[in-house]
Amino acid sequence: MSIFRHFLTNDLILESSKPDTVDFTNLDFDQLMGFGDDSNPLMMLIWIIPIIIFVFYGQRIQLQITSGEIKKGIKKLAAYKTDARSELLNHIKGTAKPDSAEKIDRFLEYFTIMPVDMDPNGVMDKIRHVIRSREDYSREHVRSLFSDINQTELAKVQTMLEIATSLHMLYKIINHLFLTAKKQNNYPLILPLQMILPFVMEEAEALRGAVSAFRKGQPVGDGIGPMVVGKMMLDVKKEPVSFQTVAGTSEFDGRRLFLLKAEGPSSTVGRLGDAVHSIIEKNNIDMIIMIDAALKMEGEDSAMIARGFGAAIGGIGTERYQIEEAATKNNIPIFSIVIKQTIKEAVTLMSKDIAFQADNVRMDMLDIIGSNTKTGQSVLVIGVGNTVGIPQ
Amino acid sequence: MIFSKEKITTAYTLEKCPKCSMEKKRRFREGDVLFFKTVKCESCDGIMAVEKIFGETII
Repeated sequence: MSIFRHFLTNDLILESSKPDTVDFTNLDFDQLMGFGDDSNPLMMLIWIIPIIIFVFYGQRIQLQITSGEIKKGIKKLAAYKTDARSELLNHIKGTAKPDSAEKIDRFLEYFTIMPVDMDPNGVMDKIRHVIRSREDYSREHVRSLFSDINQTELAKVQTMLEIATSLHMLYKIINHLFLTAKKQNNYPLILPLQMILPFVMEEAEALRGAVSAFRKGQPVGDGIGPMVVGKMMLDVKKEPVSFQTVAGTSEFDGRRLFLLKAEGPSSTVGRLGDAVHSIIEKNNIDMIIMIDAALKMEGEDSAMIARGFGAAIGGIGTERYQIEEAATKNNIPIFSIVIKQTIKEAVTLMSKDIAFQADNVRMDMLDIIGSNTKTGQSVLVIGVGNTVGIPQ
Repeated sequence: MIFSKEKITTAYTLEKCPKCSMEKKRRFREGDVLFFKTVKCESCDGIMAVEKIFGETII
């Protein structure tokens, strides 16, 4: 508003207080954009050149932009894998043999080839054999790094080595896909990589955070099942039922409870499939309850408890297969209680929300037992998950 | 960094007296293991035990 024009009369002052506006209705659009008959050839070029560039080089430009984002992700992955390796080497420094760094580097390159599944008959046994062979080998590999090592420390180093190997493998796969797309100058090839990268990064960040928790022997979110069952096993007689797996018996409201979990406080998930087979063979079980951590869906609250049916156990599937097989053969219903959490919460230090759900989970379990079994019956309660920092 | 999204998680140990249910929260120390007996209870003659080990995140 111009307020300094005229101050002679009241009328003039009023008139000058009107805003100075531009009349947009009077614009010639064709003239402005150079579309008229008398258009400027320079303006035509300014319009046409970008169109030509985008038609022929659009994908390459997109490739460059997307590459920048993926490069950032790969840089982070490289840092994570280096950190995990360094943390492992720092942890064993002083106690391991001098050539341990070379041996660890060699182990980072190890791979696992899954059995052929064209003929699915007997494939579960083959998968179990391959996975257990790898586990046994890596355990012996870790043991060979030290002149003397106890069971808890051995499991800790083995877990840290598995984490470092996983991060190493993630980096190699993502880097390979990226370099292939760049080498071929192929934009469509980079699209799936761009789509999966956020999920890969989420997993990698979770694994990076996991190293610290396992090194310090702290319970992780995945350990909520063993935590609930472990507390119930404190005052009962325990005995090993399968490799790194223990069981004990207890009573609740006239029912006999068989309590089963991996042997803590070492970092292990035990061999629950073998243990369930063994317990069911020797005892008359009327119901199985499995307590495990489960990945939450987007929008769900963390540490939420949910009840369901079927074997709640993750991993490659061999343990679940064994438990389902034993339950089906003996006509035993399987109930499950899961505690929802993100992948990061599952493998890093147990969050406060999850830890404070332990008593509620126990109440839920007892409620399921009370309402689905009769006095005198037997229930097998399984705490599924990594039992690092959780004894029994 | 000022704009870093990195969250800081602090580990805590919660000790509980099984006799009088008194609870004591302190920073986690390496070697703390769940359910292990720790110190004598300050309010009764019970022995405190590690009830929970958890992380609290500061945003």
